[in-house]
This record gives sequence, C-alpha cells and structure tokens, in this order.
Amino acid sequence: MSPELETLLDELVRRHARGEPLDVEGTLRRAGDDADELAPLIEAFLARAPRRGPTPASLRFVQSLDDPPMLRARVAKALKVDDVVDAIVAECELAPDARPRVRRYYQQLEGGILDPTRVAASVWDVITGLLGRSRALLSAPAGPAPASAPMYRADASFHLQERLVVLSAAEPPSPLDEVDALFLGEPEG
Amino acid sequence: MRDARDAEDERLLAEGETDRLLAGWVETIQDICVAKMRGPVGEDVAQAVCERLWRELKAGRHRDGRYPFRVIVHSVTRWVCRGWYEPGWQESELFDLDGAAPDESEAVVVEVTLEQFVATLPPGDGEVAALTFLDGLEPGEIATRLDKKPNAVYQAIHRNAKKLREWLEE
Repeated sequence: MSPELETLLDELVRRHARGEPLDVEGTLRRAGDDADELAPLIEAFLARAPRRGPTPASLRFVQSLDDPPMLRARVAKALKVDDVVDAIVAECELAPDARPRVRRYYQQLEGGILDPTRVAASVWDVITGLLGRSRALLSAPAGPAPASAPMYRADASFHLQERLVVLSAAEPPSPLDEVDALFLGEPEG
Repeated sequence: MRDARDAEDERLLAEGETDRLLAGWVETIQDICVAKMRGPVGEDVAQAVCERLWRELKAGRHRDGRYPFRVIVHSVTRWVCRGWYEPGWQESELFDLDGAAPDESEAVVVEVTLEQFVATLPPGDGEVAALTFLDGLEPGEIATRLDKKPNAVYQAIHRNAKKLREWLEE
C-alpha cells in the first residue's frame, strides 16, 4: 500500500474518532485508481470500530422511515409537490390545463395509493431524476400500517331514506386520455 | 462473543428504543455501503438496508438477543449490497438469522475491535494510538498530553498507521 493510501486511511480513522463525517465517497475519490485497495480497508475498519451515538439527524431519518419512500425522498431534496408536478408536465409535454390532474395523480402515487407499476416510464424518469433515487426504492412499500382499527361514531338518529344506487349501473368509463394513460396504464409484468 | 459495544444496543433493544438503536447505526451503514458499492449508489443501498432493518425491528425481530445487533447490521448490509443488482431481491423474505449460524466473517466481526487492536501495540505506541484512533487528537495535542517531542509522536503515528493497515488486511 502506498503512503498516500495509509494517510487517507489514517485521516478517516481520526475523523471517526472525532465524531466528524467520514466522507467515504470523497476519500475514495482522492484514492483514485487505488480506491479498490482502500475500500475494503474502510469496510474492515467500520466493522471493528465503535458505533457512533445517534445524532438528531439520524434519529429524524429513522423516524421518517414510516413515511412513504417517495415523500421521504422529496422532503430530503427540499422539493415541493408543485416542483415535481411542474417537471412532469414540462418533460411529458402536457398542456398546462392538465396540471391539476397530474398533481392529483402524483399525490396518490406519493401516498402509496396509486399502483406504481401502472405509471409510465416517462413519468418515472422525471421523478427519479428529480428525487435522485431509483424507482425500486421510491416505490418500495412503507412500514407496516398502524395496528389500531378505525373508529366510527354511531349516530342513533340515522335512518336510510333514499334508495341505494348501484354504482356499476352508472355510465360506462370513458377512455383514458393522455394524463390518465401516464398514470393508469397497463400494469407491468 | 460480545463486546462493550453491544451493551448499549442490548439496552436499547430491551427498552424498545428501536429508533435510537437504528439511528446509532445509520452513519456506519451509509459509510459501509458507499465503500462497498464504490460510489453514490451506496446511499440508495444504505436506505434499503435501513428500511429493512426498521421493518424487522418493528416486526419484533432480533428481540431474543441471540446475536448482537451489530452482527445483524453487518449481515443485512452485506446481504443487500451483494444482491443489489440481482432482480427481485427486494421481494424476498425478511432477513432472518434465527436458525442459521453466522458465517466466518461475522465471527471475525464479533471478535475483534479497534480497542483490542490498540491493546496489542507496545505501550508507547499504544498510548499514541489510543489518543489518535479512539480519541481523535491531533499530533500536537498528543505531544502535549504525553509530554513527548512532536517528532516522536509523528514517528509513532506512522508506525501505528502501518500496523492498522496490516490489521485491517488480516
């Protein structure tokens, strides 16, 4: 091992001891062609070094793991829903009046309500590019749902006075337009 | 075999402070994943590791304390890194160490620590190594603390860096 690599490793170990960020990526970049020699040593060091205490940031990160992954990624990038919606409308070359529906669909997707396999690749390209995360991670299921059952208030004075309408007897569904097709396409696989 | 690092993890696990337990490992997981994956994709991988560990902790796994949480963290990290580019790995079952013995590399992880490495050094170099690797002091601070000449401290640091590298390569 070159003296330069020993120095890089030594600096990293000291940063660890001081509780500073290790900047592994920067350290490997500085190692250049020798990164493959240095990386296993960094791994070995981290496997043997004492773990650090939780920081407020790491605690917030863990507590956010219950949020849907797309919401988490967007918040991490300090982006608003409208930022993502604007990008989808622009990149997919949609008309400006499609924006409210794109927004609705995006929020359903982000909240885990919309089936991610039905969303077009062009929309995913915009989202993954903006949020800097892979599609697999963004569409992974969030943590388990709360265990408590929903509660309803019983209304003793409630009387059903109107006849129920069978929804299936309503008008046949209209064909998908351009926006629907982007978010409600055929499921993959 | 367990070491001093595991006591706090066991306490947090026993008291149900699973968020603090995992939070203490987040930076280590991120750093290992970046090192293993050689780049920013490591951040994605680390997120997947944390999500998996979090789901397991919330599902009540690992409460039996059969293996130190440290061993589980490193095992899951290795497993996710190894399978990252394999299709379908995310749909597999929750990671489960129960019933299967850790592999040999895990035994190494369990048995050796940085403190133990420092303890193997000759007394003079060991003092310097403890202040460098465990306390993070600069050479000038170490010279003052140990009342040594800066040059002697630099030489000890150089020797220790070489031995650290050899130890990590074992």
